[in-house]
Amino acid sequence: MDGTLGVPKAEFLDSVRRSLDRQPVAPDPAYPRLLDDLSSLQDQTQRIRARIAETRPVLLDKFAEVAQARGWNVHRTSDPENAMAHIQSLADSLGVKNAVRSEQEVFGQVMVDAPLEAAGINMTTVSHGPDSSRESLRSSIIAADIGLTGADYAVVETGSVIVLPRKGLSRLVSVVPPVHLALVRPEDLIESLDDLFVLRRLEYQEKGGDMGSYLNFITGPSRTADIEQTLVVGVHGPKEVHLVLLG
Amino acid sequence: MADIKTRDFSAASAVSILDPQLRKALAQVGTGFDAARRAAIDEVSQELWDEWREEARQIKIHTLDHLDYYLDLLDQNVTKAGGHVHFAKDAAQANDIMGELVRTRNIKVATKSKSMVSEELSLNPALEAQGVDVYETDLGEYIIQLAKETPFHLVAPALHKTKEQVAQLFTDKLGIPYTEDINGLAAAARIALREKFLQADLGISGANFLVAETGTLVIITNEGNGRLSTSAPRIHVGITGMEKVIPSMQDLAVFLRLLPRSATGQGITSYVSMVTGPRRADDEDGPEEFHLIIVDNGRSKMLADPDLREALYCIRCAACLNICPVYQKVGGHAYGWVYPGPIGAIVTPSLIGLKEARDLPQASSLCGACREVCPVKINLPRMLLHLRQKSAESPDSSERSAGLVPNLVAGGYTRLMRSPSLLKLSHTWGRWKQNVWAAMPFFPLTKRNGMIRKTSLPLLSRWTRSRDLPELPKNAFRDIWKKELSQDKDGR
Repeated sequence: MDGTLGVPKAEFLDSVRRSLDRQPVAPDPAYPRLLDDLSSLQDQTQRIRARIAETRPVLLDKFAEVAQARGWNVHRTSDPENAMAHIQSLADSLGVKNAVRSEQEVFGQVMVDAPLEAAGINMTTVSHGPDSSRESLRSSIIAADIGLTGADYAVVETGSVIVLPRKGLSRLVSVVPPVHLALVRPEDLIESLDDLFVLRRLEYQEKGGDMGSYLNFITGPSRTADIEQTLVVGVHGPKEVHLVLLG
Repeated sequence: MADIKTRDFSAASAVSILDPQLRKALAQVGTGFDAARRAAIDEVSQELWDEWREEARQIKIHTLDHLDYYLDLLDQNVTKAGGHVHFAKDAAQANDIMGELVRTRNIKVATKSKSMVSEELSLNPALEAQGVDVYETDLGEYIIQLAKETPFHLVAPALHKTKEQVAQLFTDKLGIPYTEDINGLAAAARIALREKFLQADLGISGANFLVAETGTLVIITNEGNGRLSTSAPRIHVGITGMEKVIPSMQDLAVFLRLLPRSATGQGITSYVSMVTGPRRADDEDGPEEFHLIIVDNGRSKMLADPDLREALYCIRCAACLNICPVYQKVGGHAYGWVYPGPIGAIVTPSLIGLKEARDLPQASSLCGACREVCPVKINLPRMLLHLRQKSAESPDSSERSAGLVPNLVAGGYTRLMRSPSLLKLSHTWGRWKQNVWAAMPFFPLTKRNGMIRKTSLPLLSRWTRSRDLPELPKNAFRDIWKKELSQDKDGR
């Protein structure tokens, strides 16, 4: 592995420092947000969690409304059986032959594999074993007509589903197939972008400075207006996105 | 660096003003982008919007004032996450770093999501020279890459193309049957580029923001090409200007509120992707290597100039282009380099030199609309004036925008306005010319409704070429004062 290319960092930073007329050993800028320690982030998180718990019914309504407006097809039900029936009829109406889903807790609650397989659909679950199966996983995702995921967070302010790709959760399942379906549980809900980033910062500090390699906001279908400012959906990502809200 | 044609600004704008197709495309900039932006602000209320703008501005001021500190912190945290940071002084060095990476890793195919910095550096030709096939994957960028053009707009690079032109381009270059159906054209691009995403060894992205606290690169996209470019290939290289860093992840919230609303009127884009290092050992997919190239290329000069530092706060939303009466008339290509519109008229002379781009700061009526719409409250008119002053006072004549004639005229005008007797003489002559000699064949003069429509008098003829000149009134104020208004018997 080669090291740093280009100019050495010290030289680059020196030139920036000269431009700013800053001293070589300037004091830290003491930016308030960067001074938060673990316990301050824990306190903030506790307050956020308490506020959300208190207002959850309102937040659920609001999330359903904002998500729908941002392009999700929202189906709301607190009954896992009903959620499953909805997914089944959706797969049927889309003519799905191949489906791929992530390995997430919510699929223990809404058990989609058996009914979809019974309907003749070829189901793949994301989970790589030895290195060779990474390639076969990729092929299954490319072949899939629909990708199913849970949500790590659902942001009321923006109508976004947040996924944190990791073991069991591919980056590609929610972007490569032409249709994406996300299952959102009431406990996934957070109110605002500010809440989200406090929670992420807490996890970063708790895990000793590693909160994973990727975080993705998904808000509605893939879109473009690059030709004559005319809206087209489904240019590189899914053209159709469904959200099953379990609450 | 990208080809520089900024010296042709006047000639190029004269041509684009007369282009009926550009007129049509540019008319939509106000009704489309800017109307959407205004509606999005109304939804949140102007008051809250202004609070967000102020918060964002303060974050940018703080970060740029301590940029060395935050670049250092960013570097440490990217490295901690398993990524590699490379620093480039200029375009050549940035391209060399990329060249070294593609050579040592035997890269043949690269996909790129939208990056203005890569346009600035002319990264594509540099990669092609290394034998790499590089594909732009943002639909607008893909179109202009196929057409071998430069971006027309910061957010919508192919804004100037009609669907008929795109249809012909796709037929010629992709070999698909001719269709003017925009959905069909987008689908053709999806199919052509999907194959490339899956072949590519290298994914290149820009960065909208870099979070120093966690070493995270953030990109904001709508199409999904950014997600694919940062997920499918085995190597991801982010390439970006050094001004994109922000201190804390919590600082991101306000920028995610401001940028999509200012750019396209969306409450949030379809996707926001945050990359922190390469894939971890347990991850199902994602790149094995992550590199970040941080580029100066003239930015430290802007940082050093207190009058221009503010231009580095820009988040490239293009709201100032969409509202600008000059951009709306001349379009993006007339500006002659990579960054068009009011922000381009500041950034371009600052990065490539006033000598090359001396005419760009003149491309403004100083109406101030750009400052009003800017999500980080950049005072663009102030900087445009500053650059004009710098140009006018430059000891180097090649940096001065105005030529000999305008300077003589301005000098003569100053003389005239300072001398009451000279002014009186010229008014007397003007009245005689306008009233008595108007119809004479020598330097004739056309009048209508108290306005001079046309004259062939030297200097004034240039004025009346595109505007009317009000006639001098029958009686001068100085005479009325003397005869009727003054209480002083001497008429003083």
